Amino acid sequence: MVAAGWLSKNIAIIAVPIVTLLFGILIGWLGQRSGFCSVGGFRDFFLFRHTRLLYGYLALIGGAFIGYLAFWLITPSAFENFSWVIGKGLMPVPGAPANLTVAAYIVLAIIGGIAFGLIGVLIGGCPLRQVVMTSEGNIKSLCFVIGMCVGAVVYTMWISGWGVALLKAVGIA
Amino acid sequence: MAETRAKTEKSSSFIDTLARNPLYVGLAIGILAALVQVLLISAGGPEAYGFCVACHTRDVVNGGVNAVAGTKLAMAAISQNAILPVLTVVGVLIGAFASAKYYTEFKIKTGGGVSYLWYLLGGLLFMIFALFMGGCPYRIGLRIGYGDVVALIGLVAIVIGVLVGIKIATAMAEREE
Repeated sequence: MVAAGWLSKNIAIIAVPIVTLLFGILIGWLGQRSGFCSVGGFRDFFLFRHTRLLYGYLALIGGAFIGYLAFWLITPSAFENFSWVIGKGLMPVPGAPANLTVAAYIVLAIIGGIAFGLIGVLIGGCPLRQVVMTSEGNIKSLCFVIGMCVGAVVYTMWISGWGVALLKAVGIA
Repeated sequence: MAETRAKTEKSSSFIDTLARNPLYVGLAIGILAALVQVLLISAGGPEAYGFCVACHTRDVVNGGVNAVAGTKLAMAAISQNAILPVLTVVGVLIGAFASAKYYTEFKIKTGGGVSYLWYLLGGLLFMIFALFMGGCPYRIGLRIGYGDVVALIGLVAIVIGVLVGIKIATAMAEREE
């Protein structure tokens, strides 16, 4: 079954850049006003017991659940596998590396997550914050964003292949 | 005249009060991400893909490289099928710039030459590890809302990483003292 949303496929393929651009502009505006940051939320909580940013990130999870639930009730065909864990068990929602075992995805999530949190704290903010700070004129953040772009190509061209080969070699993929 | 101006100032500051509270911002992003999915899912998957700084940047960059160099770097199905890839991150740059200009908070901040290199490296590594995990913290959050257990494991790992990072940062700060 092909997933069907409110827009038909012919219209949706044209609407994708427009809708995502508008959504992004809104996020950028709100992100600049609020200083929204996920890694920063956890950092502030552990260091100073500040909950302002942390509640923001938790609200994102809650808002996503409310939104998915509400729109799923209206248009179930757009959310084929909601709620994911019921239909798919531990298999994650498709992300970057494809066709691995559950164990491999869990290992990747743990490695990626720890490294991610570490980099986030040392560099002083999560990627959204870095993108927003770039727009506020921070040259260091601009370097971070350029690094991200380079990282995307490096990952797609080399790392994903090597990583999967390595996981297969140690027998968990 | 003066009265209406005062009124609009008051109402705009009310919206701005909401916009400055991460709680409402997070709630709005989460709900709107679901709206984006219900609008656009016909163009292609994956699910719970409404907002992601890592994956959407990858789609834009790989799409651009593919268009310029004729390569076939991987993108999410939605970006592959659509006329242009998902432009959320471009939107964030524009929106944050507009907001910073509007509230006169735009200011060029420079760092030392070495710090640029560190940030460049940080961005590169960050992207690689985020793609391992299948998304940045925002998509992880959306996936948790969608019912993905591995995403929850990823979030726990991020928290552990943050704790380790705090330890390293405080140790480094103490050594400097």
